[in-house]
Amino acid sequence: MKADFCVVGSGAGGAVVAAELAESGASVVVLEQGPGHDADGFTARPPEMLARLYRDGGQTATLGTPPVLLPLGRGLGGTTLVNSGTCFRTPPYVLARWAREFGLEVDEPALAPFFERVERALSVSEVTPELAGANAAIARRGAERLGWSHGYLRRNARGCVGSGVCVFGCPTSAKQHTGITYIPRARAAGARILTGADVRQVLVAGGRAHGVRARRADGSALEVRAPEVIVACGAIYTPLLLDASRLADASGQRGRNLSLHPATAAFALMDEVVDMSRGVPQSFYVDEFAADGIMLEGVAGPPAYAAMSLPLTGARHARAMADYRHLVQFGLMVSDRSRGRVRSVAGRPLIRYDLVREDLDRFRAGLARLEQLFAAAGAREVYLPLGTGVRPQHASARELRLAAFHPLGTARADARPSHGVTDGDLAMHGVAGVHVADGSVVPSALGVNPQLTIMALATRLAFGLLGRPAPDIPRRSSSQARGSDEEAECLS
Amino acid sequence: MSAGLDGFVAAAPWPQRSGLRVLLALARRPRSGALLARVPLAEQAAHSTLALGRYDDPAVARRLGWDAAAVVARGRALRRAEGRP
Repeated sequence: MKADFCVVGSGAGGAVVAAELAESGASVVVLEQGPGHDADGFTARPPEMLARLYRDGGQTATLGTPPVLLPLGRGLGGTTLVNSGTCFRTPPYVLARWAREFGLEVDEPALAPFFERVERALSVSEVTPELAGANAAIARRGAERLGWSHGYLRRNARGCVGSGVCVFGCPTSAKQHTGITYIPRARAAGARILTGADVRQVLVAGGRAHGVRARRADGSALEVRAPEVIVACGAIYTPLLLDASRLADASGQRGRNLSLHPATAAFALMDEVVDMSRGVPQSFYVDEFAADGIMLEGVAGPPAYAAMSLPLTGARHARAMADYRHLVQFGLMVSDRSRGRVRSVAGRPLIRYDLVREDLDRFRAGLARLEQLFAAAGAREVYLPLGTGVRPQHASARELRLAAFHPLGTARADARPSHGVTDGDLAMHGVAGVHVADGSVVPSALGVNPQLTIMALATRLAFGLLGRPAPDIPRRSSSQARGSDEEAECLS
Repeated sequence: MSAGLDGFVAAAPWPQRSGLRVLLALARRPRSGALLARVPLAEQAAHSTLALGRYDDPAVARRLGWDAAAVVARGRALRRAEGRP
């Protein structure tokens, strides 16, 4: 099989770059290790969907203190298939840091056309209070009483009815994951999309890539000849593929610098009926403490999910679950300073990550804030993810129950070959014809959900590969412009 | 163990899968509670997994106001009506 470009992976990075390249007339092959998923097969039942839509049934975990659960999507769409759909642009202060510390020529105006393009493609818009549900309304009430900065999240969803199971497969196909947006676009433009294709090696000769070698689900070998290979397997699997391909790494940084945005969540018991699974589970945020690396975001789900996450055991767990309709949940995500490492052991990732003291302090402060938020909202009882009787300020790293959904940084971009695996254009240092388009190039924690950042960088990469200038930002319609002007007048 | 939970455990990576099966077997024995309680992380893992299965039971979930079949049926009807993928 031959192509101009071979893209490995179909998630936030791979699907976007494939569609942009194919629509410009390039010949593209996409190789996805997992299967394609049909919405008709989504059952809204957590155990079954975890086993089917996630790598390792969603039970990938790090080694270290504390262990962190790291659920990753598997299949066409990658993790965009099972994420909450939250869309943030890269914060300007993060871009400034990238320019300062990593020599990357990216700033807000330069990236704006790419963000704009992705947001239009994915129908990104703010969740309405009605759709956000009671879980968000309670958090909002608490934040308002405390005077904390907050807002409704922007999401890539169209025609959402609040099914409450974004992370278990959207039954209405409202969530605009790449498996139903960019991948069909790529296919319509002539790209060949192969599922069940496990890429084992990027082929390189004379310092230049010339294709990949893969194994299909039936065990047969597959070789794609392409002068340009775009690796987009995600921050856990990309370094493994680069390692297996024995590509040069003068920086010694491959697999290192893993940041996770570790997260946890608390529950509270309310007098009112909440029915947390009705509405958009992640629809509301509190960013009052974002400058301290602490972001509070909504999280919720059906009873099986809540029962699994509720930090209680025995009779207390049973009593709280009997009141499921009165339970509210909210999450806490830390913009981490801790850094981990991914290594390959017998072809599987061994992920080491230990929480540093600074991040432990962030969790202590964040949990205290969550407790405060629920109390201000009128909670009868708060269930923190800590042992019985342990106060947030005394929590040890060992006691924290953490999960993470945003692995980043393991093939970090840095203009200097001695410091980064990829350069500012996401080309691998030291090897021609290999680019990386996933979370692994993101050189630092973002403090916000990363899918939009990855997609914008992937779009920028595609435009760069095609030698095209940045896309124009479309002009607003006259009614949109009028609306903004009126709003500005009201505010002035 | 329900088919859904069985599939969930089977999907775990090898070392965790074996460990989880042992923990679940212990957690189901009334006299093993004290033993598990000595290792809070293990107790939590076993407890969470069993809870995931127990509350996934449609009859249990319906009593708590969640009807997965109705959510799926509504989604299917909406996709058909609007030509969504």
